[in-house]
Order: sequence, then C-alpha cells, then structure tokens
Amino acid sequence: MSKTTVLDLRELRRRQPRFTGMDPGHRACQGCGQSLAAHIVTEAAGPDVIVANATGCLEVFSTPWPQTAWRVPWIHSLFENAAALAAGIETALKQQGRPTKMLAFAGDGGTFDIGFQTLSGMIERGHNVLYVCFDNEAYMNTGVQRSSSTPHAAATTTSPAGRMRPGKRHLKKDLLAIIAAHHLPYAATATVAYPGDIKAKVRRAMAIEGPTFLMIHAPCPLGWVHAPELTIKVARAGVETGLTPIVELERGKLVSVLPIREKRPVTDYLRLQGRFRHLLGDDPVAVQEREHLQALADHNIETYGLLAREGDVRDSVTAALVRRGGAIR
Amino acid sequence: MNGYDPASLARAAAALPGSSLDYEVGSWRELRPVHDHRPAPCHIHCPAGEDAQAYIQKVQEGDLEGAWATIAAFNPLPAVTGRICPHPCEEGCNRGRFDEPLNIHAIERFLGDMANARGWRLEMPPLAEEAPEVAIVGAGPAGLAAAWHLRRAGVKPVLFDRYPLAGGLLRTAIPLYRLPRQVLDGELERLFDAGITFRGQMKLGRDLFLNELEQEYAAVVLAVGLQKPRPWSVDGAAPGDLRYGLALLEEWIDVGAAPLEGKIVVVHGGGNTAVDVARMAIRAGAREVHLVTTRALPGAADAIGPEDHMQAFPREVQQAIEEGVVVHPHTTPARLIIRGARLKAVELAAIRAFKDERGRTKRVTFEGTERVIEADVVIPATGEIVDHEGIEMLPRWRDYLASDRFGRIEGRPGLFTAGDASGRGGSVSAAVGDGRRAAMAVLLHLHRIAALPEEDAEAVSVEALQLYYFDHAPRQEPPLRPVAERIRDEKEIEPGLDAAALEREVQRCFSCGNCLACDNCWNLCPDFAVLKTEEPTEDGSCYVFDYDFCKGCGLCAAECPTAFIRMVDEPTPAFGGAG
Amino acid sequence: MRAAFEGSQAIARAVARCRPQVVAAYPITPQTHIVEGIAKLVADGEADCEVVSVESEFAAASVVLGAAVAGSRAYTATASQGVLLMAEVLYNIAGMRVPLVLTCANRAVSAPINIWNDHQDAMAVRDAGWIQLFCTDNQEAVDTTIQAFRITQETELPVMVCVDGFILTHLFEPVDLPSQEQIDMFLPPYRFSRTLDPRRPLTLGTLVGPEHYTEVRAQLHGDLEAAAEAILKADADWADLVGRRAGGLIKSDGPHTARIGVLTLGSVYGTLQEAARELVPDTPLRLMALRCFRPFPAEALRAAVDGLTDLVVLERAIGPGMGGILATEVRAALAGLRDAPRVHGAVAGLGGRDIPLDILPRLLALADAAEPVRCSVIDLQKMPPARLGADR
Repeated sequence: MSKTTVLDLRELRRRQPRFTGMDPGHRACQGCGQSLAAHIVTEAAGPDVIVANATGCLEVFSTPWPQTAWRVPWIHSLFENAAALAAGIETALKQQGRPTKMLAFAGDGGTFDIGFQTLSGMIERGHNVLYVCFDNEAYMNTGVQRSSSTPHAAATTTSPAGRMRPGKRHLKKDLLAIIAAHHLPYAATATVAYPGDIKAKVRRAMAIEGPTFLMIHAPCPLGWVHAPELTIKVARAGVETGLTPIVELERGKLVSVLPIREKRPVTDYLRLQGRFRHLLGDDPVAVQEREHLQALADHNIETYGLLAREGDVRDSVTAALVRRGGAIR
Repeated sequence: MNGYDPASLARAAAALPGSSLDYEVGSWRELRPVHDHRPAPCHIHCPAGEDAQAYIQKVQEGDLEGAWATIAAFNPLPAVTGRICPHPCEEGCNRGRFDEPLNIHAIERFLGDMANARGWRLEMPPLAEEAPEVAIVGAGPAGLAAAWHLRRAGVKPVLFDRYPLAGGLLRTAIPLYRLPRQVLDGELERLFDAGITFRGQMKLGRDLFLNELEQEYAAVVLAVGLQKPRPWSVDGAAPGDLRYGLALLEEWIDVGAAPLEGKIVVVHGGGNTAVDVARMAIRAGAREVHLVTTRALPGAADAIGPEDHMQAFPREVQQAIEEGVVVHPHTTPARLIIRGARLKAVELAAIRAFKDERGRTKRVTFEGTERVIEADVVIPATGEIVDHEGIEMLPRWRDYLASDRFGRIEGRPGLFTAGDASGRGGSVSAAVGDGRRAAMAVLLHLHRIAALPEEDAEAVSVEALQLYYFDHAPRQEPPLRPVAERIRDEKEIEPGLDAAALEREVQRCFSCGNCLACDNCWNLCPDFAVLKTEEPTEDGSCYVFDYDFCKGCGLCAAECPTAFIRMVDEPTPAFGGAG
Repeated sequence: MRAAFEGSQAIARAVARCRPQVVAAYPITPQTHIVEGIAKLVADGEADCEVVSVESEFAAASVVLGAAVAGSRAYTATASQGVLLMAEVLYNIAGMRVPLVLTCANRAVSAPINIWNDHQDAMAVRDAGWIQLFCTDNQEAVDTTIQAFRITQETELPVMVCVDGFILTHLFEPVDLPSQEQIDMFLPPYRFSRTLDPRRPLTLGTLVGPEHYTEVRAQLHGDLEAAAEAILKADADWADLVGRRAGGLIKSDGPHTARIGVLTLGSVYGTLQEAARELVPDTPLRLMALRCFRPFPAEALRAAVDGLTDLVVLERAIGPGMGGILATEVRAALAGLRDAPRVHGAVAGLGGRDIPLDILPRLLALADAAEPVRCSVIDLQKMPPARLGADR
C-alpha cells in the first residue's frame, strides 16, 4: 500500500461523520460481539463521558500498553470493582459540578458474579452511572469457563459436555430480575443484532439522572464456537427464538419489549453454535435438553409477552431494517 | 502528548488516544472483503441492457433526470418500453421471491414520460465534419436504437424507412390503447434533435439499393423488421377473402376501423400480433372472438417447457381474456368449413407438444378431439417473416437474416443486421438491445471502439441477499381502466404511477449486487475498518475498507443486504529484499 | 487550637480541614469513629465533601480511587479485615500511582477474630506500594494525616497513616488541631496529573506485558524509595509552619552514649519512654520509633543505630514461620554495616494485649543473651497450658 493511501485513509478516518469512542488496532478476535457492542455504545454515548471498565476481554484487547483504542477517558482498575470505581468517579464529578456522564463497562463475569456486589451497591446508592454489561455468557478472557450467565446446557471448559453431563447443569441467572428489584429508574436488555436499538437505549439511559443498567447480548465466536461472520445472525436468532428477551424496565416494571414477529424454534439458535453441538443429536439427553431450552424460551416469551401483536409498530423485523442512506439513527 | 507529561504517563502506564492506530491488525487477515458489484437480475433480464437497479437508485437519491439518463444510455425509448415491454426485468426481480417484484416498467415509464414532458436531453458529442455516416434501413426500435448509439459515439446515422414516419411497428402495429402515439413522437423528437437524420418513404429494393448504400456509407445496418405474413392455410384451404392479422391491425390503427362488427372471429396464433388482433376484434364490435393457439397459456403448468408457452406477453393475454377473448390453448384449426367462398365454421382439435429423442419439439394432433365452432372470419396471425426484396442475396437462418449476436453478416464486412429481421427481436426491448449491439459492431468496424462489450456476468441470486433487512411492502400498481370502459375507446388502458407511488415503489428495491448505502458495513464492523467517504468512490459506493485494520472477520459481507461485499482470499504478500 | 479530643475525632477534623472532596468508607472497628466524625462534620456543614457509605471496604477503596482519578481529593479509613478486603485495590491504587490518604486504625487480623490493636493489618499490605507512616500519639496522627495529603500529591504514591486502634483512636488527650488557614497554607489544592477529563482523554489502567511490566514495577520501587525526601520535606515544612515535627523517618530519644537501643512502631514508643523514665532511669538507652515503615529508611536507620551494640526490635505483628517482620527488615537493612549492633527480635501486644511498663527490662534482658535473639514472643504465660491441652 502506498504512503499516500495510508495518509488518505487516516485523514478520512478523522473526518468520519460520527463520534467514535474507540479506534481500530484493538486486538479483539475476528467478529467479536463485545467490541462491536462497545463501539456502538460509545458512539451513542458521545464524547462527554468517562468509562470505568472491569477486567476482561474488552479491557485486555483494547489497552495493550503503550497503546489504547479508547478515545474517551477510560480507566480499568480491577475485575470486580467497575461499579464502585464508576461510583467514585461519578461522586467526584458531581462534587466538582462537572456534567460528564459516567459509564461502567463489564462482562457477564464481572457483572453476574464477581462484580455483582459493587453493582448492587452502586445502584442502591443511586449513582448517576450507566452500567453496561456485555453478556457473552462465560469467562471468555480466561478461556471460556462457565459463569452464572452461561445458558443451561451450554458447553464451556468448566461445564464440558460429556457422556454423563450435557454441559452446564444450572440455569442462566435472571440478573435482570435482580437488578429490577433495586427499582432503578431504567434497566434494559439489547443485542448486537440491533445496533439501532442499542443506541436508542443508551441515549435513553444517558438522559436519566440516576443509575441505569443495560445488558447487551454479545456473541463470542471463540467461546460459542461459531464462524466470526455469524455474530449478528447468532445474536438475532437468540432474539427470534425467545432465548434473548429484549426488554425495557422502568422502576423495575416492564414498559416495553422488542416483539418477535416470527418465532423460531430454539434449534435455529443452537445449531449455529458449537457450544450446543451436543444437543443436536437424537439421544434422549439431547432431546430432553433441547426441549428444556425450548421451554425456557417459551417461558421468556410468555413472561415478557414477546410475541408481536397486531398494530405493533416496532418488532424484531422492523428494528433491523435498512434503507438507502443508512438505517440506524 | 495531549498536554500530559510523558513521565507522568509512563509511571502509571497510561496511554493516549490514537495510539492503537500504530498497531495494524490487518496483518491477521486471511480473507479480505471487497466490493463486488454484480449485476442485479433485473439488469441481466433486460434485453435492452438497462440497469434498472442503477436508475432506481438514482430515483431513490432524488435524481430523476440522472435516473432517466441512466436508462437513455442504453435505451432511447423508455417511455415506449415502459409501456409495451413485457418487462422480463420484473420476472427476474429478486423481490418477486420475497413478496412481489418491483413495478420496474412503471418506474421506467414515469421517467420516460417526465423526460418527454420536460424535454430532457442526453449530452451528445458534437458531430465532426468528417464523422462517418452510417445507413440504417428501418426506423423501428432496433434501427432507432442503433442510430442513437452511433450518434452518441460521434457517428452520423441516416435512418431510412419505407413509411413516411419513423417508429416501425411501434407506429403501425401497436394498438393505441397500449402506446399513445404522442409518447412515441416525444421519444422520436429527442432522437432527431440529437442529429439523427430520417428519410421516409424509402423502401429497400424500390427506392434504396444495398450496393449503393454500401458504397455511399461507412456501414449499413439492416433493421428491416418482419413485414411479410407467414403464408397460412389449413391443409391448403383458405377462405377467398382471407386477411392476415398484421395487415388488419395496421389498417385499424391507421384508419380506425376493421370490418368485424357482429362477426364471430377466430384468430389463429399465439404471439403478440394474434393477441392484439383478437383485442382489436373485440373493439371493432365482433360478436365472439376466439384465439386458437397450439401453445399453452402463459405460465401454464401443462406446458412442456418455456418454449411451449404462448409467445404473447402474459399481461396482454390476461387483459385480452378480461376483455372477452376466448383463448383455446393447445388447440389447432384442423379444418376450415367453407361453403362457397365463405367460412362457416372452424374445426378445432387438441394438439400437444412433445420432445423427441433428439430434444426437438414436435406437435401431435389428437384424433377424436375434434369439435366445430361457428365462425365468420378466420384471421391468421402465426408470425411474419423478413421481406427479402432488395436483399435476396444475403445469407439466411430460417426466415431471418443470418448474423452473429452483434449483427455481423458473414462475408459482408460493413453490413449488419438488427432487430426482428435478425431473429433476435420479439419485444421492443429485445430490438432495442439488438440495435445497440449492432451499433457496437459498427463502431468496432469503424475502429471507434477497441472491443465489443463483455458478456453479462451472473446475476445476484436471492439466496445471496440478506432478506432479513427488508420488510414486506406492497407493489405499487395503479389499477387498469375497467374493461367496459377501455374497449370503447383508444385511450391508454394502463395508468402510470403518481409521484408518491413512485417514491414508495423505488424504496422497495433491494439494490441487488450494488451498494444500498445502508451503513450496515460501517455500523457492524467491530474493527472500524470500514470508512465512509464523502463522495462516491470508483465502485459507486460510499465506503472503503481500511485494510490496515480489517481482520477479515467477514461480518460486513455476511450482513451486506445486497451481496455487494464478498470475501476473497487475501493476496499472498510478495517478498521483497534480496532475490 | 489545643483541646482534648478523642483520637478519631482529632483525625476526622484534620481530614476535614484538608478539604477532601470525596470520602468513602465501610464500618469496621476501631476505624468507625473517624468516618462517623467526618460524616457529622459534613452533616453540620463544617466540611464540603461527599461521603459515600459503601457496601464493603473493597468498594470504599474503589470509590476513592475513582474519585481521585476524577480529580477529587479523596480519603478513606479502615482496619484489619477491611485492609485485607481492600488489598487488591490497594495494590492497584499504588500501581496506578493515584494520590490517596488512608487511615489504618491498626487492628489484629482474624482468625481468631479479635478487634483490638496490633499491626498485622498494615504489615499484610507492606508490599502494596503504599507509603506507610506510623504515629506514636494523636498529635502525630493529626500532623501526619495533614502531611500525608501533601506527600501523596507530590509523589503520586498513596499514603497509609497507621494509628493504633483503640489505643490512639479511642484515647482522649489534648491535641493541637491546626487551623484551617495553616492547613490551607501547607496543602496546595489537589491536582492530579492524569485526571480523567473528556477534554483531554486518557487511558488509565492498561494491560502491561512482560516487555514493560518490570520497568513499571521498578519505577514504583524507585519512586517509593525516593519518597523519603518528600516525607522529610513535608515534616520540615510543617515544623516551620507549626513549630513541631511529626517524626521524620525515624524518631529517636536517648543519649549518644547509649549502647542499647529499642526500635518500635506506633504508640508503644510512649510506653517505652515512660518505662525508661520510671524503671531504668540510669541506664543509657536509645529509644526509636520508626515512623516511616514504607519506604523503609535503611540509611536513616543505619545512622540512627550508630554506636549501639544491641538493638531490640519490638513489634506488634508476627510473620508466622519467620518471626518479627520489622526485625527481619531491620536485620536486612543493617546487614554489612561496620560495627552493626546485634538485632534482637521481640513480639508483644498482639490482639490488644496490654504492653505494661515492665516490658522494658525484659527487652533489655534480651541484649544479655550470648547470641542475638531471633524472635522472642514476650509474655506468653497468660493462657494456662492446661487449657491449651484440654482444647487439643
């Protein structure tokens, strides 16, 4: 590549008609859902933010010193203290009268498990922080160990599928319900399959004074064992099967869902991913676990009322539509 | 250092924005995404070579004149073709596999009409004094298209036609309810404005002679069409007052009357002329009109293949049936019952096509299926052939002038043929496309281009699209005028789209194989390796890949709604240094 | 203003006059009175500060870390288990070179659970990269707290002010509380060189690989050693301002002719002084309090022991499997010194066990041993051996 081309692209990059909170050059795996989610969130959040980031893939792949991919002020301290760190920064900002919005980023391990306590404390004390959990459903940074967010029956390195055990024995923790029990102003789920929805929810959360929570389903090609180009399709299948409910809560009460226009069987989701490969056979255990997951999906659909009704203006199809000149606002 | 003390940064291992740009993760890549503009099926399916996707894109962008110019670069008659072309583009349209195909012909027609209304012109190179002159015999769609493309290349075309006015069968044989003549005149005005010379009432073999043309002109294009009806009888029998369909049709269009009032009419043939004749009979007041064809109805499942369907355009057949024409598919006139010189009835019999062991189609009449229908008039419309007067010496292929697909006649450099006369017509668009190809061959002959255009690539299939990103939307289709009304006058029966419907309709285009500018690649790249440009790039899109940072994950290609992005093997870097 | 305060209240007032912007803490005995005091001052409008009552010491340390990098002077206090729960964050704060002041109300570490004083908590995090200053009385606690804010700002190294739990924190004694004006004169406004600010974005807490990690850690070590200068300077400047020192690196008391010295940490220094006056008034004795445990002031220590033949190190913590932690470090610091004194290790006062005046003669007796005493745990006879046996 000629020198001029390099310079031109660098210049073009500077002139991109959107704010980007991250630069390329980060070391995320190919097709990483988390890096995609992070860049969507930071784009929507804009430049006047500070990010407190838990230990995890996002932190590791974005900040190999002396380089950083972050264009916004960003700090990583520890695995389990992103919420407390964010609370401290937010307290300082408030004390200084600075309007900058505080974001906390963590994975599912840092949110569901080890960082859960600081998160609960942060929400309880009412810190004005948008906490974003990038949920890839296992400890990916350490090599795909099960977390309390890992779905039932998924294979990980610590919940392997074998003759006696079909993957993880336990259920995915219903974290959203626990968060909702804090009666915080706003909590929502989203997925990388719907970037526009993520942006809308980030903006909604940013406009709220007080603790807000956004959990973004973000496929991990390495850990979920799918081809990197399938990240969006896998995430979308999660929504359309009902396994990934996309909902919004205000003060703990359900206020809206992304309705599923055409419900798909959970096998449409499972067969895309190697972590569920052991569930696709005809053996009785596989059949039973598939039915179990289908029942869990159906339960989500019923609990949240996920099936589209006549007159829904927005659903799982319209949320992803494109048109000339760009679709995601 | 952004105002920071380097020592302060180093002691805490702090880092500054922009620093990751020093690390070019593009080196990880094994596959690279590329923009790959493959033709949309509408484009491949258009015999005239129009890229509907391209002009619909211009409409989406609000550039109506640009959209029209995109058509006119291939077809000088969009207001005509938008009306009477059977629009195979819509059969090809991938949207037809999703809900309903785009109403492409209506969009083309809208643009053609607007061009005529506003007097849009395509920019033409000036004609040099020494510009070569090319004679084109026949001012029908093929001849007009050839003239247009030659003129656009700076060659001076001279059109000859045996009729006083240009247009060929568009003027003489297409019913007015399908093509108002002011539409045709509007298109012709633009051609003649552009410097195309027309000389009417010049018939080959009478007023014009091929050897003289070849001497006087740098090249000659024969676009003479099919003028002579194929001789018709049933086992050698024919009524004494037999009139052929094309002649009746021309007379009806010319004088506005046909002697069929109160008659029971049997039209024989399965092509467009047959259908037009049958509909003419309805309008001329015939009591009954029967259309007898050895073929199946368009699209009918009992055909042995596409070649067994009626060659008439499906929509015309449909409209004819709506208007009261009784179609007898897979039927042949087996006997004419004539009393004196007058037809009394026609005996019909079932006929079916079969493939023989060599793959050829043969038709078999089934004994015992005969039935008799009363009839006053039988009108054959089983096809026309070239009038060879003045060109008797040219090689032939079946009833046509033999030539290659660019109209080149073997052993006659400088002489070309195009359109129906070459056997490559069948629709106005096909004739337009054939005229363009002949013009290209002429330009090659005149050394004004270096090579003939490439064969069309394979179209983007519906399977390659990401249909997920499109929602269902009804095809915008204004209703036809009601039958009772439309058969009473000659006014056009199919209305055009209004501006609002046009706007809705163009938004339905998938933009197959081309950039939709939807931002998906820009939004979904986890590595920010897709950059948006302010102006369209060479490939027509507004995005470029920054291969310094693209890891080759393939998400952009997988989520490109229009299959415009393709993953290809990363080129192996060449080794530099000592060698 | 000289007045009688509970140690915790004196410290709370000193902290408040240092104008912290964010204070975060979690309740733990015997630290609670300090943060309660600050909270009350804020409630009464005497301090303009956000007090964050968090859900754990781990969160407290994280919150003040966040506040400090966001540009606010921040403070926390804890003890014992709280220090250990904070340990991960303490390492992190030092590694990120974040200015913070933490009061450690020194207390024993479980198990067995025990809420009373010793120094095991501070010793447990001696390698976290913090400056650790031990106070012998509440005046020093007040003065050191104020100095700590200046030291941490200058060095970008966090400072742990170690104050004996109960013994000092709950002790009422007269303390001169410096005025707001004095403190404002001494302490420049807080300004962090790497403040998180969207106008000048910066990434903190990066991943540092094998190719750089050693350098970063070595710099922390070097800077911590060099911080002794800032500590001395702060004390000197403080003395210029208020007319008293808080102990420099090592505080020493006794005649130059003394051949025996006792080195200790914290409030027991006062006990030893009193014992020397009461019990062995005629013995030339050098008493020393190591104020600055981290950085370990090896040079100052070598100077301080000049002329001694025997040095007894008395400490309120133990490194199981090794013995006295301070003694071990002192031996290491004196190793190779010409005419170095013999170093005898003594451990006493664990878990709040009273250190009586008569400990001093027993310490001096150690110097009579033929060989240096490695680690003598003083006063082991309180729990009857029979009970021990019965429990077994």
